[in-house]
Amino acid sequence: MMRPEPQQLQQQARWLAFLLLASGLHIFESAMPSLGPWFKLGLANIVTLIVLATMGVRYALALALARIIIGALLLGTLLTPTFIVSLVATLSAASVMVVVWRYVPNVSLLGVSLCAAVVHMAAQFWVVGAWIIQQEVLYQLLPPFLLLACVTGWLNGSLARYMVAQLQVRDGEYIASKK
Amino acid sequence: MRVKAISSTGLLHGLHGRPSDYVLLLLVLLAIGMAAYQLRHDAGSTPMVHIYHAQTLLATYPLQSKQAIHFIAHGDVGTSEVWIERGKVRIIHSSCRTKACVLSGEHHRIGDMIACVPNRILVTIEGKQHALDAISQ
Repeated sequence: MMRPEPQQLQQQARWLAFLLLASGLHIFESAMPSLGPWFKLGLANIVTLIVLATMGVRYALALALARIIIGALLLGTLLTPTFIVSLVATLSAASVMVVVWRYVPNVSLLGVSLCAAVVHMAAQFWVVGAWIIQQEVLYQLLPPFLLLACVTGWLNGSLARYMVAQLQVRDGEYIASKK
Repeated sequence: MRVKAISSTGLLHGLHGRPSDYVLLLLVLLAIGMAAYQLRHDAGSTPMVHIYHAQTLLATYPLQSKQAIHFIAHGDVGTSEVWIERGKVRIIHSSCRTKACVLSGEHHRIGDMIACVPNRILVTIEGKQHALDAISQ
């Protein structure tokens, strides 16, 4: 068996560190008081955005999926309706992140985060409305929640962009110090 | 791996997006506005079942609910059990003596009503299109 390259190992270690951070934020957020059962700030999504911008699409999608599973294991909600809602919403949001990041020209993490937050919220309502509670009257709540998602998506995107810029500066300094 | 250039330096500066971000924001807000308009329009024309005891509104349910709804209304002489399923509403049991409300069967049109007079329970189907055909009954 081939020994992995140090650069590859470093990449994997960084991804694991991001995964731990995202899982921690996921659990922290579930313990925080929120405006409603479906409304969360999406702090863990910041980490997905950072991974998307610094490590690529494959790592971002893997992180989104792994974070949901680890979070559910630690919270004891694995395979419950909450988990299904979270899984569908997170995977939809991560897919939209990838599509916007790849195909919208000159977009920044703000636009990516905005679209992801809105799709995350809409997907949650769709799963709950279509499969769990099955009351169409629920959709009446959707527009105000989507507006709140726009605000949190934009703020999260700006935070992610700031952190990516900081990481790039640190990485540059690290590489320079090695030379 | 594709890494886009990140140009922000400060946290507050990071709140300013690129033109593409603002275009996306505009599109999203437009979509939310259209969804809100559509939902409001749909809500207005969706028939709703209102269950009253005298002048007190006890409950409101959409007539076209996917799941069957069983509501027990407490009236003057006992209970009236309202059943909503597949766009139809009926009273399946009542504590009243005559049972006229139960015998009136299923109702599905806007403007239809089921009244249990002894129990002072009224079930109405309300919506945007006021039922001219119901008045003509």
